Amino acid sequence: MTDTATKGRPRLAGAPSSAVSVYIAAVVLSALALAVLGWRTHPLGTADIPALIVLSAMGILSESVRENDVGERTGLSFTSIVLLGSVALTGPLGASVVGAVAYLLGVTKDRAPVRVFNSAMTSAFGAIGGFVYFAAGGAANVSDIEGVGSLLLSIGLPMMAADIAQCLSNAVILSGIVRLTHGTPIRRFVMGMLGTSGPAYIGYGIIGFLFVILWVPAGVGPASALLIMAPLFVARWAFVQYGDEQRAHERTVSALAAAVETKDLYTRGHSERVALLCDLMAESLALSSQDADALRYAGLLHDIGKLAIPTRVLRKSGGVSEADLVSIASHAAQGVEMVRDIEFLQGSLEGILHHHERMDGRGYPDGLAGESIPLFARIIAVGDAFDSLTTSRFQRDAGTVEDALAELHRREGIQFDPTIVAALERGLDRHPWEPTQLEPNLIITVGRAFDHDNPKASDLMAGLGRDERRTRAEQGVSSLAVRVTARRGNSVRGNPAGGNPAGGNPAGGNPAGENPAGGNPAGGNPAGENPAGENAP
Amino acid sequence: MTSRVKALPVEIFSAALAVALVLSALGLIRFRFRDQPSVSILQILPILGVFFVAIVIGEVFRVRLSGSRHSAPLATAAALAFAMTVESPMGTTATYKAPVVVAVTAAAMLIGLIPSLARGRPVHLSELANGLIGIALTSVLFRELPISEGRAIVDLQAGWPAYVLALVMVVVAGFSLTVEMLLLAMVRATRSHAPLLQTFQDEFRAGLGLSAALSATGALVALAERPLGILAVPLFLFPLGLTQFAVRRQIAIRQTYGQTIRTLSRLTEFGGYTQSGHASRVAELAIVMGQQLGMSEREVLDLEYAALLHDIGQVALIEPIPGGATVLAAPTDQRRIARDGAEIVRQTGVLENVAVILEAQTTPYRQVRELGEPLPMSSRIIKVCNAYDDIAGEFPTPARHTMAMERIHLGLGYEYDPHVVDALARVLEQRET
Repeated sequence: MTDTATKGRPRLAGAPSSAVSVYIAAVVLSALALAVLGWRTHPLGTADIPALIVLSAMGILSESVRENDVGERTGLSFTSIVLLGSVALTGPLGASVVGAVAYLLGVTKDRAPVRVFNSAMTSAFGAIGGFVYFAAGGAANVSDIEGVGSLLLSIGLPMMAADIAQCLSNAVILSGIVRLTHGTPIRRFVMGMLGTSGPAYIGYGIIGFLFVILWVPAGVGPASALLIMAPLFVARWAFVQYGDEQRAHERTVSALAAAVETKDLYTRGHSERVALLCDLMAESLALSSQDADALRYAGLLHDIGKLAIPTRVLRKSGGVSEADLVSIASHAAQGVEMVRDIEFLQGSLEGILHHHERMDGRGYPDGLAGESIPLFARIIAVGDAFDSLTTSRFQRDAGTVEDALAELHRREGIQFDPTIVAALERGLDRHPWEPTQLEPNLIITVGRAFDHDNPKASDLMAGLGRDERRTRAEQGVSSLAVRVTARRGNSVRGNPAGGNPAGGNPAGGNPAGENPAGGNPAGGNPAGENPAGENAP
Repeated sequence: MTSRVKALPVEIFSAALAVALVLSALGLIRFRFRDQPSVSILQILPILGVFFVAIVIGEVFRVRLSGSRHSAPLATAAALAFAMTVESPMGTTATYKAPVVVAVTAAAMLIGLIPSLARGRPVHLSELANGLIGIALTSVLFRELPISEGRAIVDLQAGWPAYVLALVMVVVAGFSLTVEMLLLAMVRATRSHAPLLQTFQDEFRAGLGLSAALSATGALVALAERPLGILAVPLFLFPLGLTQFAVRRQIAIRQTYGQTIRTLSRLTEFGGYTQSGHASRVAELAIVMGQQLGMSEREVLDLEYAALLHDIGQVALIEPIPGGATVLAAPTDQRRIARDGAEIVRQTGVLENVAVILEAQTTPYRQVRELGEPLPMSSRIIKVCNAYDDIAGEFPTPARHTMAMERIHLGLGYEYDPHVVDALARVLEQRET
């Protein structure tokens, strides 16, 4: 359920602008006018006073215990239920008082203008609910009603009408302030809010009705608040726990992804930054929040497969052999193997697997081309290269954002998808990006280690994909195994990529000019795990 | 396993009690109806039917709360309301007695099992039996037990204000649910050889919130039947449905979390640093030992995560240790791995307890004795379990087992806490048989 009454609470930065002040004043005045109107049409009787006091206390309490951030805007608005109860029990004036008092006196950290605005808004739509309740034939005195049918018709139905009216007026009043502070179009805001919190309001309507039934016809009185709130408090507690656990989960995943970076010092903070860049691009591409989550996780974990690559290969200073390249290229598939069992990452696997594919089809592991590369993978590829270009290295300072973008543009259609590069550019317009300067000590330690994310490395590694690999194998060139699917026991130790190039040294396939025989560090390459050249996905 | 055999008496006891309850309920019903033909079954049929359906549906939507804990909140609340109903739909007094409640609830629970059975899902009979005992207790307390002048609550309440009745209902239901938790704790304690008091505390802490919601909802439904009749049952179960939804989501994310940690614990295996399955074996062993040494559920969870992640510090090594066996590594290397692991885990910002355990996992026990250094029990357990598994391996032959135990005994009191080593020997012995 969505915490409607708080969701759009305006975040007023600094002193409110004059337009905002005028708007708040207008809302306060309308709230007062509605209260006066309520007083004239449906005055409170002396018998209503105890109920009004109890309801106000409940309103204050529910505002004071409110959690602002319950993950995915999930929460329960007790205030909405209390307000609806006061509509039936005390009429428009009562509801307007309860609404005003709840936000004005609730123990929160809100600043004065926010408090005043929320209080006036809640008071106003409380009163509106009261008028609608009577217009829909609601009973003025609940205790007069008997029988299931009349209870539903004279209390239940009018309360649902009041509920809908409150939901609508809440959305409309909020949309005004959000228009002024954030520039969001009113129509879009109202529709969005009805979409997310409409269902919740139906729930509030039912619970509010139960509350009233228990209070008067069942004769429990104010104590009914305790009974009806007990299951809701437990629900709220569970929602809060859910939010906490979800955040804990996300942090754990990212911290453990960072653990991989202790192996390859160049990539310190890299995963986190790529995840951030993915968020930027997801925003530009208007991905759904679910897709954006999956993409962020994919960005966070895209290099996790490096854990299976011998550290000495990752940290090798100076040239790398083809065997090393093959080993490094295996990290995409290895990463997927590692996290395959985690259910919530199912949407992220493709992005992890294919993040080194190229638009021209010369990437790895599968040599996919163009649109056949999954969207997430194309996004991560751009973020990955961008972060590499804007991070300092042994031989150069961190590139500027402009230079990096220019480099990405140069490679549009060859390595990167132009629409994604454009999305990144738009994202960077909105959120400025600082190039990353690694600590000098770190750079000296790392030296000239191979940076596989640099677009130039992609050229070097082009053709490690499956199709070209097969062609090479046919030509009698050594088998370049990139993917290992079968893993048994501890046989993974050694060179997990399984490529054992020592046999046939490919003629031109040794870009760094090093003896590839030395590139197979542990030598413990289990036979049979790597059928030559035949690597079924 | 011995644990299974020893667990049986309590489970059999509660199952037998439940069956006895049902049988005597049926007998009593026969007897009553023959005795007072004035109580027409037709009069109470609608209310029996509504509660029967509600309990069946609630049972179908049984939720798993944690590892071995299950609950059917909607069914329990409906049954509680059934046991505490004072007025039937048409404004007549609800004349049925406790045996009817027990018989109808038992029948509904059994029917609610059908979908699980059909889908081949496991059925938790001991939990069902405990649930039935709780409902039976509620109905006896509310409808049968003479409170004053030989009359039970259900007959006395007519003159009470509604809020007093509400309070009494919540207390009666809460008491019954607490007894139910005690029974569950007994089953669990015998099953895992854990101290009963600790298990009950865990059970109570885990079930408190939901039990409060259940008692309140039971009272809500029973009270609302006066004005609304049987419509009160679906309507007033609605807030609890929300609770169930929220709890389910919370459980789901918690499970996802556990799954993630387990998968991430295997990262070192993928990297070729540790033996396959080492982390999960150490964790399995550590959990059982933690329970038997009287740790709370929360502590056992931290222990489990720490055991799963105890080798994560190895990812920072340039060359893997042979066989991944830290017990064979030099003490300084061991300490560095522990420190690196703690550092990695600490970066999550949410696993501080686990980080503390990891840091101390290599500290020798003598530092507690000689220097009075505090050393978490969890760290001692992991140290012993790790040493055992490093040497004994996945399928410990008697020879490997002896070798591992001998090596541990060499460090008894110096490296390892003798108390923990005893627990290890006990747990392994229980596994044997």
